[in-house]
Amino acid sequence: MNMVASFLILAAILFCIGLYGALTKRSAIIVLLSVELMLNAVNLNLVAFSRWGIAPNLTGQIFSLFTITIAAVEVAVGIAILIAYYRSKGTSDVRDMNALKR
Amino acid sequence: MLDNIPILSLLIFSPLVGILVLLFVRRENGRLLRIIGVAGTVLPLLLAIWLMSGFDYSAGRQLVEQSVWIHLPLPQEFVPAGISQYYLELNYSLAVDGISLTLVFMTALISLMAALASIVHIKKRWKAFYIWFLLLETGMLGVFLSQDLFLFFVFFEVTLVPMFFLIGIWGYKDREKTANKFLLYNGIGSALMLIAFIILITTGGFMVREAATAEGSLALDYVYSGDIQTIMTNMTATDSLVKGAAFTTSPFHMTEGMLTFTFFLLLIAFGIKLPIFPFHTWMLKVHAEAPPSVVMIHSGILLKIGAYGLIRFGMQFFPEQTVDYAWLIALFGVINILYGAILAFVQSDFRLVLAYSSISHMGIVLLGIASLNTTGVGGAVFQLVSHGLISALMFLLVGSYYERTETTMLEKLGGLAKSMPFMSGILLTAGLALLGLPGLSGFISEFLAFVGLFDTMPVMTVLGVAGVLLAAVYVLRAVLSITYGPMNPRFAEVKDARLIEAIPMIVLVAFIILIGIYPAILSETIMPAVSDILNGIGG
Amino acid sequence: MEAVYAQYAWLVPLFPLIAFLLILGIGRTANRTGPVIGVIGTSISFVVALLVLFEQMKGDGMAYVWNDLEWIRAGNFVLEMGFEVNPLNALMLVVVTFVSLLVNVYSIGYMKDDARISVFFSYIALFTFSMLALVISENVVQLYIFWELVGVCSFLLIGFWYNKPEARAAAKKAFIVTRIGDVGLFIGILLLVWHMPEHALDFTNIANAFGNGDISGGIATLIAILIFIGAIGKSGQFPLHTWLPDAMEGPTPISALIHAATMVAAGVYLVARMYPVFEASPEALQVVAYVGAFTAIFAAIIALTQRDIKRILAYSTVSQLGYMMMALGIGAYAAGIFHLFTHAFFKALLFLAAGSVIHMLHEQDIFKMGGLWRRMKVTGWTFVIGGLALSGVFPFAGFWSKDAILAEAYHSQPVLFWIGLFTAFLTAFYMARLFFLAFSGPAKSDRASQVLESPFVMTLPLIILAVFSIVAGFVNIPGSDRLATWLTGEAPGEHGSLLVIILSNVVALAGILLGWLMYGKKQLPQDWLSGRAAWAHRLSYRKFYIDELYDYLIVRPLRVIGYFLHLFDEFIVDGIVRLIASMTTALGRTGTRLQNGQLQTYGLVSLLGLVIIAVAFVGWRFVIHAG
Repeated sequence: MNMVASFLILAAILFCIGLYGALTKRSAIIVLLSVELMLNAVNLNLVAFSRWGIAPNLTGQIFSLFTITIAAVEVAVGIAILIAYYRSKGTSDVRDMNALKR
Repeated sequence: MLDNIPILSLLIFSPLVGILVLLFVRRENGRLLRIIGVAGTVLPLLLAIWLMSGFDYSAGRQLVEQSVWIHLPLPQEFVPAGISQYYLELNYSLAVDGISLTLVFMTALISLMAALASIVHIKKRWKAFYIWFLLLETGMLGVFLSQDLFLFFVFFEVTLVPMFFLIGIWGYKDREKTANKFLLYNGIGSALMLIAFIILITTGGFMVREAATAEGSLALDYVYSGDIQTIMTNMTATDSLVKGAAFTTSPFHMTEGMLTFTFFLLLIAFGIKLPIFPFHTWMLKVHAEAPPSVVMIHSGILLKIGAYGLIRFGMQFFPEQTVDYAWLIALFGVINILYGAILAFVQSDFRLVLAYSSISHMGIVLLGIASLNTTGVGGAVFQLVSHGLISALMFLLVGSYYERTETTMLEKLGGLAKSMPFMSGILLTAGLALLGLPGLSGFISEFLAFVGLFDTMPVMTVLGVAGVLLAAVYVLRAVLSITYGPMNPRFAEVKDARLIEAIPMIVLVAFIILIGIYPAILSETIMPAVSDILNGIGG
Repeated sequence: MEAVYAQYAWLVPLFPLIAFLLILGIGRTANRTGPVIGVIGTSISFVVALLVLFEQMKGDGMAYVWNDLEWIRAGNFVLEMGFEVNPLNALMLVVVTFVSLLVNVYSIGYMKDDARISVFFSYIALFTFSMLALVISENVVQLYIFWELVGVCSFLLIGFWYNKPEARAAAKKAFIVTRIGDVGLFIGILLLVWHMPEHALDFTNIANAFGNGDISGGIATLIAILIFIGAIGKSGQFPLHTWLPDAMEGPTPISALIHAATMVAAGVYLVARMYPVFEASPEALQVVAYVGAFTAIFAAIIALTQRDIKRILAYSTVSQLGYMMMALGIGAYAAGIFHLFTHAFFKALLFLAAGSVIHMLHEQDIFKMGGLWRRMKVTGWTFVIGGLALSGVFPFAGFWSKDAILAEAYHSQPVLFWIGLFTAFLTAFYMARLFFLAFSGPAKSDRASQVLESPFVMTLPLIILAVFSIVAGFVNIPGSDRLATWLTGEAPGEHGSLLVIILSNVVALAGILLGWLMYGKKQLPQDWLSGRAAWAHRLSYRKFYIDELYDYLIVRPLRVIGYFLHLFDEFIVDGIVRLIASMTTALGRTGTRLQNGQLQTYGLVSLLGLVIIAVAFVGWRFVIHAG
């Protein structure tokens, strides 16, 4: 098994853990955390392909910088929304957020 | 003179002129809105009269207007090599014959009368009302004149949407549920009809056309067409792809079972509209909950579309099935007549009496269709016209009565002959027409239908005649309790019909009496077209 | 031979129609002019009818037919409209216009204080038009059309005083019961359409087809019976007689016009017109004869115990119509028509005289009258003449016609003769009862003791009709048989017999004597029968409970079926629809559970979808490239 594969497997495992957390966890903060985890798994993938991909160049690493930035921004905004929601509704349990229910 | 002018297209789209003008009038200007709304229905009537004057009564189907509307190329992988084009062609195609002409005129006339009635009976949102009303009229006119299955379907659907809004917004207590029920039921009917049409287009609508190619040589095109004439030819000719015994493996061949299946699809689809028992319950609600001027249109014209479809499509496309299942149609006709009559006898709401009476009269139409001869089918078409007029007149009266007394319950109304002698006289006349008194239009239609059917199915005819006897019972019960009887003191001071209400009443009564006394004016128009249709079945 | 006046026979119904339209057009304000228009219209008709009749009498009974108006053409079936003039309907034209004219004049007095008098005259004009048009109809469908119109006019006039619930009910009943008969006639017409060569329906062709034996046997019998059912309805024969006595709720002038002289005679007229059909079926003729005879005696029994003056006369009319049907049934065509002719005069007379009494006394119960003879001389004398004519006493008109019938019955069907003879006895008895209770003896109420004679405009028609009730019989004295020859175009067999003449007179006089003894001189107790056999009296008084029977057998079950079907419609038929609708709604609601507002569920579903698509895509590629 070559180096790419191990990185990819690691990234995939991290992604699945993050996906599982995003879809099943009760606390909104944990969901956001899980989304962070998924994004980091993607970063891993990008860097791995940048080093051991078919046409290795620096583009992968630069792209991962973008992803890190966007992730940070998204977490900030997400936490802000969550705090505002918590202030008005008094709960951060994802199961109580069903205003879209038909 | 009429050959050069696309009179049929003008006729169909003339109500849109009214809509256009209405759009520019402000919503608050009630008086102007109502005047323009009525004027919008006058224009189609004038065009219809012009059409009638230019119609050649001996020439059958005429004034064809045709232009390609949808030309949809289909993947050529599925046709043999050598075929240059393979496409689906749905035309914008119109024509008129005796039956269509009569129904078109009736549509225009009743629409005008209903528009006049709406001036008095509709009390809110006139702009929206008349816009939907005129749109409905466009749909109805289009239905009777289309010569292409897809075009027919489009106009058919066009009539459903305005009705939904007209019932749902301006109706009575249960209006929204009724509008829903109306749309659902008729939607199912449309869906069945669409399936049948698709089957027809893909089998009977297939034709091979020779066309000149760019190189100047002749090439063959495979075409799927929705044209009624094409389909009719293919469906009735014994050696065509659809029917011919030599073509049983062809994809265009329809087996006996397939033909019967499609025929029943059409029967159910149009039976929902007609309505045939047991598909009638939606219509009862509409009659009870919709505003009377809308019911005038509904009962006067929309129900007739069902019968029109049965005659035009059922009989013309499926001659053998019509002959085989004539007994079934007659049976449903008798059930309609008797069921409607007995139930009309025990209703306490006058509108429901009229609703069940409509079911009963449509049963006579079914009997006429089942007779399979010119006399009977002619009687059926006659009944369409006659009942349309009578029904429109009755609901005109219902609306006028409701506006003054806020009720249509028979026990609450009563003794109104004293305070409203004119309307009571009209009501009595309409009631006598409803029960088929000779001298008014109802008699001749019932007579022809029964004469036509008696030869082949005497027992059914006798049962149908018994139903006509019951008509006397329920009509007299309803009409007498409204006009005579003890008077509710609240209604001692109600006023008789105003001029704006009296004019449509007098016009409709005049037509009913005219057709009753001299039916030849109507039969001259209808009978040649009916003969043409029946020639396809074998006379 | 040139028929000069017959060509204009269509004018006869036209003038009453114009009168109707005029009165209708002028409206409610025509209370002064309406009656005048009515009278003028009818008089002109009468004059033209007389001209037509005289011309027919001069000729050899040749018929004139005009049928060039094509009314409707539907495939192979063509219907034409026109008119026909022959001895029978020329006679009817005169009878109808004459009685109508007299009733119009009479009504000027009778309806003087009614607010809707012009409406009344318009209805009478419409009725006269319909009846005349019926009479000169050229084919069976045209006759049917005017047959129904006549029924509508009868309905409108019976219910004229619509504020009275009994009048409304009677009008509805009349219309519906006669409609039952009309159904029979209609089905008979349907049969004729399909069995007559070329679907021809005019009377000339019918006479030919049945006379030549083209149509015979079972079909002919069926057609004849169905036509007779129509006649039963219109002429009030058993079992469709129940509407006629109730029709007395209408104003008395129209009881005289419609329910005595003309409309009810339409049934007899129909049978006479379609006589070749009946002649083709001896079974049908027997049915006609026996129904007629039964009705005659049945109605006479009921008339014995009634208290209302108009009801007695109504049952008497039913009974006499039975005589006419019996006559036609046994083959005495001319005798039946003769009786129709004379009956029109004396029955109209009796009704108008009764109306005169009712108008001045405001009372219809004969037990509350009395002593009118002293105070209402003209009414009294004309009533006597009418009663004697009805009882069939020599030499009044009724005697000659009733004798003709009885003579023929004695000759061909003795059973019917004895029934007819007994009925004659009953007829004389109940008329005597009526007369003595109403006119003789002391006045039984204050009003009765102060009543005056009716105005001249009402007594004039009485006098005229009385004259005719005396002389009308002389046109067909046995031995001369002028009427019979003229009507049928051939000399009838000589069946007059002295025995019958004597018997019928004896029986009539015996009935009058008995009535005088019981009610006039009061020597016999009035309740010798009702005391001993109260059940018989009750049966007769309650009209043999036929109305109640119909109510329980037909009206109530119909209503029950209606309610049951209503429930069926509401819960089962509509229930299925609502079930389907609720199923779709339930399906939809199940689907909405997917929309639970939980983002994580949405995410999971999207993920699953993505996985499925990916697998499918890869699998497809796999399949494509592997295969």
